[in-house]
Parts: sequence; C-alpha cells; structure tokens
Amino acid sequence: MNEQLTILELLDRYVKGALSPEETLAVEKRIAEDESFRRQATEHVKLARALKSYGKRVELKTSLDALHADMQKPVVSLPVSGWRKYKTLSGVAASVAVISIAATLWTTQNIRSQQNSDYLELRRTVDKIQKTQSALEKNLTRKPVVSPQFAATGFLISSQGYVITSQHVIAKADSVYIQNEKYGSLKAVVVHSDPVNDVSVLKIVTPVKIQAVPYTLSEAQADLAEDVYTLGFPREEVVFGEGSISSLTGYRANPNAYQISVPVNPGNSGGPLLNKQGDLIGMISGVQTQAAGATFAIKSTVLKEILKDSVLDSLQAPIRLPKTNAIKNSNRVQQVKKLKECVFLVNVYKN
Amino acid sequence: MYQTDFAAVANYFDELILAEIRKNNQAALGELYKTHYPMAAHLVCSNSGTEQEAKDVFQDAIIAFYERAQQADFVLTCKIKTYLYAVCRRLWLKRLAEKRRFDVTIAEGDVFEGLEDEIGEVLESEISFERMQLSLQALGEPCRSIIEDFYIRDFSMDLIREKFGYTSADNAKNQKYKCLQRLKKLFFEDHRKEK
Repeated sequence: MNEQLTILELLDRYVKGALSPEETLAVEKRIAEDESFRRQATEHVKLARALKSYGKRVELKTSLDALHADMQKPVVSLPVSGWRKYKTLSGVAASVAVISIAATLWTTQNIRSQQNSDYLELRRTVDKIQKTQSALEKNLTRKPVVSPQFAATGFLISSQGYVITSQHVIAKADSVYIQNEKYGSLKAVVVHSDPVNDVSVLKIVTPVKIQAVPYTLSEAQADLAEDVYTLGFPREEVVFGEGSISSLTGYRANPNAYQISVPVNPGNSGGPLLNKQGDLIGMISGVQTQAAGATFAIKSTVLKEILKDSVLDSLQAPIRLPKTNAIKNSNRVQQVKKLKECVFLVNVYKN
Repeated sequence: MYQTDFAAVANYFDELILAEIRKNNQAALGELYKTHYPMAAHLVCSNSGTEQEAKDVFQDAIIAFYERAQQADFVLTCKIKTYLYAVCRRLWLKRLAEKRRFDVTIAEGDVFEGLEDEIGEVLESEISFERMQLSLQALGEPCRSIIEDFYIRDFSMDLIREKFGYTSADNAKNQKYKCLQRLKKLFFEDHRKEK
C-alpha cells in the first residue's frame, strides 16, 4: 500500500514536471526496464493528461458559452429622443387639425350662407303682400308691378343722404328703395357692405333735400340695464319698441354687439337703437330664436368705425356724421316724433 | 496598380488571430467565434439541425482549433474558415449518423491537407472528453473535487488537506490514491468495454 502511494506520488510529480533531471532520468529508465511500472506509468500519464485537457475544455466551453450568450444579446436600440419619438403622433395630430379646420370653415360657410337656425336675421319677406297684390292686379288687368322681396328698417346717418341698414337685408339686391312718411319713396344705392358686422351703407340717389340728423352716434359703450328704444318697420307702419340693455356682448359672446330686451319682429333689422338722451347706441341686427326676448344690436362704436374708416374707399368724400344732439333734452314722445322722420322702410328688390 | 491581394489580406488576418489566440487573447477568440458562427449556424440549421446543435458543433470545432493552435508546431495550412467549415461539417454528419439520419448531404467545401487526421484527432479528443465527463460524474463527491483540484487546478496536497478537512497529510494522500484508483477503473474499463 505504502509502496503504491510512493509510486503514485512519484508519477504525479513526473506528470507535473516537478522532478529533478536525475529523478526524471531514473523514472524513464525504470519505465524502459520495468514492465509493470511502465504499464502503470502509461496509464497514469494518460489519465492525468485526459484530466488536464478535460479541465481546459470545460474552461474553454464556459468562456465560449459566455461569448455565445453575449453574441445572442439583442442589439439595444437607443431610446428615440424628443421629436422623433412623437413624429408619428404629431403627424396624426397635424392631420386632425387640418381636417377639423377645414370642417369648421366649411360648416361656418354653411351657416353664413344658410342662416343659423338659432339666430334669426330680422328681414321681412314680402311674399304675402306680393300674392295679394298680384291677385289685385289680375283683377285690374294692369301690367304687374314688381313688389319688393324683402323689407327692413334703415335710418339716416348723415344729412348728405347716407342711410345705414343691415347687410343681410340688402345682400344680393338688384335695387333698393327706402320710404317713410316725410320723404316718400327714394331710390338708394349700396355704397358699402360689411358682412362681418352685418352693416351696409346706402346713399340716397333721388335728388331731395335731406334735413339734419337730430341724434348723434354714442362714442361710449352703453351701460348694462340702460333704457333703450327703437323704431322699425316690422310691417308697413313704423312701430315703437322699448327695453333695456341685457348684456354687453351679443350672440355667442360677440363683443361687437349688445343683447337687448326689446321685442322685435322680422323687419326690425337695421332699426336704430337709442337711449334716454337720444344718443344712437346701436342698430338692431337679429334675435336668438331659442331664447325668449334675446335681441341683438350692433354697437354704435362699431358703426362709427365703419362709417369713419371702412367706408372711405367707396366714397369720394368722407361722411359727415351729426355733431349735435338736437333731441337731448326732449321727452321720449318728442324724440320719437323727430326720429320717425329719419327712419326708413327699406324695400329690397332682387330676382 | 494598387490592386489589393485579398487572399493575402485574409491570410494576414488569420495569422493575426492565430497569433493572438496562442497568446490566450480572449478578445481574439471572441472575434473568431463571432465571425464564423453564422457559417456554422447556416450549415447546421439548413441541414435539419437546431440552433442549439449548431452551437454545440461550432464550439467543438472552435475548441479543436484552439487546442491545435496551442500546439507549438501548428502551422496554418489553410484559411481558418476552411478548417472550421470542414470540422463542423464532419462533426454534424457524425451527429446526424448518430441520429440515424443518412439522407443529408452537405456540400464539402474546400478540403485541406491532413483533414482526415485532423478529424480523427478531433473526434478522439471529444470522445476522451465525454468519457472523462461520465467517469467524473460516476466518481461522485468528494473524490471528484479532490481529483479535479489536484490534477486540473494543480492545488498542492496541503491545500487539499485543508480544504477537505483531513487530519493528516497521509490521510489526504490515501484518500486521493483511492479516488484515483476508482477513476482509473471507471475511465479505462469503460474504454475497454467500448472497444
């Protein structure tokens, strides 16, 4: 047993190359001479080498596995930063924006051309009269007189013969005639139209002497709850209406208009709105159909702007606006008596 | 005028890799591995093999090359790629044969001188490896660890005695002797049985 151990130890050292040259020579000599020793030694060397290469191979395999795992790692894509991350999203957003803008423009265009169901422009359709009239004419077998298609109100703004009314009344008109008790029927031409604010400026072309305008355009904005009144032609006769300022903004919070509580009817469009002192503070433009007693009037400040500035391009000389308020100290009845002379029924003819 | 001799460049790289691998440079080994793995993957996967099998075959080929490279007298007689391809092909054909699949033919590719000898050696060392693996598994603990520590990791007997808690050096030596005898039996007897 001990002998075997010694031999084993010797061989171990021989395999590991830890023997001195003399001992190596001795071992090799013994291998050559002693057959049983040789067999033992060969076996031992073989085993030791097999073990060694096994170890190396295991080690190598481990490192190769690591390499392989490393290679198989998915390529880490860098996080896409900022703008590129949202590129697709912003593209979608942009197209949505474009579509909605286009849709909005299209629908508002529709509203403009068809008139909003919620907002009624107060021009009066003269169909009924037309029918009765043509029936009369048939009986009389006379050449039929063309009757106006729409009627509304307008009022004098300058002694030069300028009258303002609502734009929607005279839109696409062929000809416009205005009439009242004092002047009778006068022909007028449209000199300026402002569809945005729903204001049109007419000029009387029939040669007639126009009196001075008794009221002035209010420079300031009216106060809430201020008493106001209007004159208009919802029918063939002038009609008085009164109320107060309900709100300082108009339909859908339009800052260029007031909401007033004056009862109005189709035909009142373009009527003047005056306060207690006889200052012109606005012009009736329409009502909200789904709210009771919500009438709208364009502010005098807007009117003034239009008359002072926007109109200039269409005229040879600027409009001279009235400077003095002649009805300031009169009571309402006297004011209305004066005012009546300056308010016209606007008859609009179109094909 | 300035025509590049691609063959020469390729050879230069092969020589460089070989030199680095001889110096035990892991990065060079990695480079070699990554460069040629797709070739092996294609070879195996397009011949009814899986990626896992491709990996095994390729690693065996790489190990064979590595072991050859460690030999002092080794000289490159062909491109490394040729070597690896030939070895992979033969190894895979052998595996297929073991799986009783004989219907597969794989393009031979370039042949280099001494291919047969090389393959023989590769297979032999592989067999030896597998047998040793089985023997060590059969040997069990603590014998396996003692043998591995002494013959593979080159630990001294003192260290082993300490590590395994033997009271004397003689005890440790005795234990090691017994273990070795058993391993010899396992390793060589199975060897003989196979033959």
